[in-house]
Amino acid sequence: MNCVEWEERIALYAGGDLVPAEAQAVERHVSECAGCQVLLNGLRESLALVRDAHVEPMEAAHFAAVRARVLAELESAPARRWRFAWIGAMAAAAAVLLMALWPRSELRLAMPMPQVQAAPAVARTVPTPHRKVVAKPRPPQPVEEAAEPMVVKLLTDDPNVVIYWITDTKGE
Amino acid sequence: MALAFVTMAQAVDGPGARARTGGLAAFESVMRQHERLVLITALRLLGNMEDAKDVSQEVFLRLYRNLEKVEAANNYQAWLYRVTVNLCHDVGRKRRPSVAVEDVPELVSGAADPQQSLTGAERQRVLEMSLGALSAKEREALVLRDLEGLTTEEVARVLGSSEATVRSQISKARVKMRDFVERYFRRRI
Repeated sequence: MNCVEWEERIALYAGGDLVPAEAQAVERHVSECAGCQVLLNGLRESLALVRDAHVEPMEAAHFAAVRARVLAELESAPARRWRFAWIGAMAAAAAVLLMALWPRSELRLAMPMPQVQAAPAVARTVPTPHRKVVAKPRPPQPVEEAAEPMVVKLLTDDPNVVIYWITDTKGE
Repeated sequence: MALAFVTMAQAVDGPGARARTGGLAAFESVMRQHERLVLITALRLLGNMEDAKDVSQEVFLRLYRNLEKVEAANNYQAWLYRVTVNLCHDVGRKRRPSVAVEDVPELVSGAADPQQSLTGAERQRVLEMSLGALSAKEREALVLRDLEGLTTEEVARVLGSSEATVRSQISKARVKMRDFVERYFRRRI
């Protein structure tokens, strides 16, 4: 039998994980304890066995298979990204068409853009969440007859797709 | 009426954009440099080649997405070990069966020293089964320290543990592995 209290230190010693002072203490003990000598030998043999097995060469086909899968995934990435981008774009276009065909009296969406001067009384912020359109019937207001262009900013579920709709104040 | 579709740069400036500029060839070279580290570490931790390949694939895809960051840190190995171990931990928690030392089949051999007469396949089997007898944490510590040859400090950094914890895990793992091997060869003391 080996001494339980020495087991952890002997296991660390077998792998070279003790500082010199601790290692010397283990060596002294092992030289006087047959059970711990057997434990140390067993630890060394099992470590040598698994290390030998670990460094045995592996079939190159396994590495090649991983490489091929990774490269195929990366090569297909652009096509897939564009496919999703177009899905988002088409959804946005459909939303715009829907708004264009909506009864004019209910269409009162606008968001002022820095580069376009919008009629102050008409400009409103598109509410969140995205694509939730709040269309409330409003009584006609004189300022809506102003001729300045109006910009509608449409946010879609795809953060990469933003649609600006520039129109006159009548929604034409 | 005027319509304008605005798409953000990130939609096109991903791996594909870099691939178009020849980046994939360079990345394949990076993979060749590190593939053994990733695949064999994953295999030792999972005990299953198909799972190890799946993990390796994910590790390299993540490396590709984080290439600039990893290159800037100039420490491929630590990053690869960390990501590989973390992914294996997630996969292995569900899949790897643990083998109790008492349940280990004993090798019947007439050779004077059965360990010396093992074939390569038998050595691989002993290695795989002995790793299966360890807990996940013990296995990670032993694979990185004793098989991959990292220092205790490096192992602690990869595993996000203290050195004292790693030393404890390593010593327990070595004793369990020795018990396994001795039982396998019917040389239990």
